[in-house]
Amino acid sequence: MLGPRIEGERGIALITPTLDHLKRNVEWMTRPETTRFWGVRAMDLRPEHAEKRFGENATDPTLVNWTIAFEGEQVGMTGLFHIDWITRDAESGIFIGRHDLYGKGIASEAIRLRTRFAWDELRLRRIHNWIAMRNRGSRRANEKAGYRQMGRFPRSWYRSGQWHDEWLGEILNPDWV
Amino acid sequence: MMRAERTPRLPRDNARVLGGIVRGKRTTLRVPTEADLAGFARWAADLRVRGALTRAYWDEPAMLATWKERLAKQSEDKSSTLWAIDGEGALAGSCRVEYAIEPGHFGNDGIGITHFTIEPDRWGQGLGSDAALALHRWIFDIVHARFAHTALAAHNAGALRVAERLGYETYARGTAVHYGDGRYVDGLQLRMDLTTWDERWGATEREYPVPLGEELEA
Repeated sequence: MLGPRIEGERGIALITPTLDHLKRNVEWMTRPETTRFWGVRAMDLRPEHAEKRFGENATDPTLVNWTIAFEGEQVGMTGLFHIDWITRDAESGIFIGRHDLYGKGIASEAIRLRTRFAWDELRLRRIHNWIAMRNRGSRRANEKAGYRQMGRFPRSWYRSGQWHDEWLGEILNPDWV
Repeated sequence: MMRAERTPRLPRDNARVLGGIVRGKRTTLRVPTEADLAGFARWAADLRVRGALTRAYWDEPAMLATWKERLAKQSEDKSSTLWAIDGEGALAGSCRVEYAIEPGHFGNDGIGITHFTIEPDRWGQGLGSDAALALHRWIFDIVHARFAHTALAAHNAGALRVAERLGYETYARGTAVHYGDGRYVDGLQLRMDLTTWDERWGATEREYPVPLGEELEA
């Protein structure tokens, strides 16, 4: 599913993704500056694959995707995926493709908007995620929204001659009854 | 990070799909057949098994025809392996593992246990421990995985005992992940490394004496 437009603060908004957004995200995902906390960045980069994936995302009832916009321009993407509608649990993810905008609080605001939507509109109960331990900016943004560490996966992926751990986080809907 | 981006299931050439024989002391992991499906179907519909809340059965309850389709599909799934477990001459359970298959993706050198079932009428007889040890011999001594991982509900004391005895350690505890029998239960994620296998089981649990084949030359 594609998420609706949600206006945030400081010029940040979650907006409904388009195929062009996805193609731009894929292009950003090839850059080492934006993927330093990922392992091998090999993926299907064909335009026809992006079209297929966009169609699948739009119709998949177990995920909700948004494009992140800053001052009217696309800067990344975020989403809830692997949604289990019985346990009302989901995994979250975020990607800022414009590395020149790191440190401006864009991810923090996007996570806040996404989380509020998960509680108030989707009535989810819990969200969890995995973040590279070394990705302090992403961890801080999630912790600001209320995520807390539930575990640590050692030696998860390899980059620059080193093994790297992952941080496992979770957040519970405070109003769940 | 979008984890789903890193764990696609794609076919590869060295399919493992249905598992061959791995011998334990009292159990044998072997190729599952259609004759096993009635057992698989029965366990998936048994609330004693389902009460484990995670990783306890292969798939949801279904007609036998659907289980046949599942077995056929499994036989073509190149990112996982399914076994039936025989215990002292009769079908006693089943288990399945999966592996990420793209270089650099999460777990590409690890193996995840997606379910492990023992016939509930035979719980408490040590069959699960024996079969689990055989399965991990396959994981570490044959496949040479860097680690194995699985998830268990925190109230599943029997499975946790087996996992801890094998050498698993809990690396994450999720709050109120599962729901069953009128209550939420925490979810545990566990991992066991090859180094642990070697230290704990290497001296006693090799399939053949090392060096391999030396006794044939004597």
